[in-house]
Amino acid sequence: MNVKRLTVLAVLTAAALAIYVIEAQIPPLAPIPGIKLGLANVITLWALWQLGPRDSALILLARILLGSLFGGSAAALIYSLAGGAACFLCSWAVKKALTEKQIWVMGVIGAIAHNAGQLIAASAVMKSAYVWAYAPVLGASGIATGVFTGLIAGLIYRRMKDAKVLKGI
Amino acid sequence: MAATALVLAAVLLGAGCTDAPAVKRVFAMDTYMSLKVYDGNGLSEAGAYIERLDGLLSATDEESEISALMNSKGAPVKVSEETFDLLSRALELSETLGDSFELTLRPVSKAWGFTTGKYRIPADEELSGLLELVDDGRVELDETEKTVTLPEGMMLDLGAVAKGYAADGAAKILKEHGTKAGLLDLGSSTILAFGSKPDGSKWKIALRNSTSAESFVGTIELDEGAVSTSGGYERCFYGEDGETYWHIIDPETGRPARTGVSSVTVVTESALYGDALSTALFVMGPDEAELLWRERGDFEYLMILEDGRLLISAGLDGIFAPHGSFEQAEKDVIR
Amino acid sequence: MKTRSWIAVFAAAFIVFAGLALLLPRIGRGTVANVYRENERIWSVDLSKVEEPFEVTFDDGEGHVNIVEVEPGRIRVREANCPDGVCVKTGWISRGVTPIVCMPAKLVIRIDSGGDTEGFDAVTGGAG
Repeated sequence: MNVKRLTVLAVLTAAALAIYVIEAQIPPLAPIPGIKLGLANVITLWALWQLGPRDSALILLARILLGSLFGGSAAALIYSLAGGAACFLCSWAVKKALTEKQIWVMGVIGAIAHNAGQLIAASAVMKSAYVWAYAPVLGASGIATGVFTGLIAGLIYRRMKDAKVLKGI
Repeated sequence: MAATALVLAAVLLGAGCTDAPAVKRVFAMDTYMSLKVYDGNGLSEAGAYIERLDGLLSATDEESEISALMNSKGAPVKVSEETFDLLSRALELSETLGDSFELTLRPVSKAWGFTTGKYRIPADEELSGLLELVDDGRVELDETEKTVTLPEGMMLDLGAVAKGYAADGAAKILKEHGTKAGLLDLGSSTILAFGSKPDGSKWKIALRNSTSAESFVGTIELDEGAVSTSGGYERCFYGEDGETYWHIIDPETGRPARTGVSSVTVVTESALYGDALSTALFVMGPDEAELLWRERGDFEYLMILEDGRLLISAGLDGIFAPHGSFEQAEKDVIR
Repeated sequence: MKTRSWIAVFAAAFIVFAGLALLLPRIGRGTVANVYRENERIWSVDLSKVEEPFEVTFDDGEGHVNIVEVEPGRIRVREANCPDGVCVKTGWISRGVTPIVCMPAKLVIRIDSGGDTEGFDAVTGGAG
């Protein structure tokens, strides 16, 4: 890990945090603590392609931990970790089957996985299955936001992968 | 790209921009507050203002200006503008309302255990000794220096009026920031409503007569105004003699005020005035309250008596609707 | 897999999800009671889906314990170790207009959605 790469990771973590905090202002779709649209996943996705799984996971973990320090609570932390882990693992798993032009697909898979992870965590914490009633709404919004974040991540990746600023990291 | 734009639009719109109210909830002044604004700005400033006031005025906060006063051993203490402002207004009200309203009752409340939760019944000698320390008239304010002098041994408790003052100030801040309408619920003993709701309907304030959450006895419909309630059922304990002892104390006797009143609700323009009045009227009892109402003419009130009767001033009668079993209660309208 | 296929899969999935979300009438959007500690939501329950009464204990790890009882359609603090027990005296709530508040524990139970508020904007009548 050289200094330049570390700097890039730090900047991305900050960006992901900023998106996360702004996104937190939007009213939640379901009464589950920490349910978010998942817009900060743009960063995770892009990093997976540009920097590789290890660094993408690092940024994600840093963002989740810092995010719950700044604005969340212990409860939100659990949901963020569950959603983040699910999203990352499923995105990484599907990467092999995708081309660079299909990064948006990873966005959708990741978003759905993120919401599923949160639902699983929620039903475990609240010891009730009633949260699954929100699965359809979260599934639909997952697809929608996933397309959005995936398209943006893909666009940025394809435009920037040969950029000078990313050389030598 | 068009697909992206559509999706983005759907997501953001679906996330809900409506004219639903924005609410800020705060723990302050030993109570849980909800500040609700429609079409409004300045919520965070209003919240910060209330929290700052709490820091200045809290009798239980060691760092507050009130605590500094109580530790001052009779020396003048310079205080901030807000504290001075509140004290001068509160002392003025104390003079107007006479023996039924005192800000220096804390030594007595403490003796009863209302400040700690360790309730007890003080002996007569103890109370008469403590009553020597109860006299608002001995608190000195210096306008030029903005100092307050509290004689040694005396204590100040602004709990009865701090919320009202905070509500008035918060509403002013919200209006200055362009808020058109809002409802400030400062712990349900103090409520301030201003402006009209988006659908044009009046503010509906439910009234309850016990600690039980949903035991409503009636509703008040307001265009605007402050609603303050003092009830004996809040913070009370049961003595071994079977009597109920509550925290609204008669400054003349040092004992819970017993005038046959169960609760008083005051509706007026300023929440500070309303807060002071609701306490004072409770102590005064029905007859003196009626006299004050005729004399001042700047508030409306209702009293629920221990025997179940309802006394209500003419102005309030038109906008109060009784609920459930309270509809059968005997009602006397004060005109 | 070809991009076309992915689009087909997701479009179909979206239609199914959206359809379910819209058609299943207000499932889960019943009367939801939320429990907050220091204004952070820590627990939720849909009161309209409760069939058997049950209890939940909230312990903040600093000595404040509130035992909450949930029945179909309503919720209350049954027992608490706070000095004045105002939260217990508040009793059952089934509507959104009054919260149950335990000041020492900074615990608040509120019904935020569903529940008939009868259009009240606030309740007066102090609870200490």
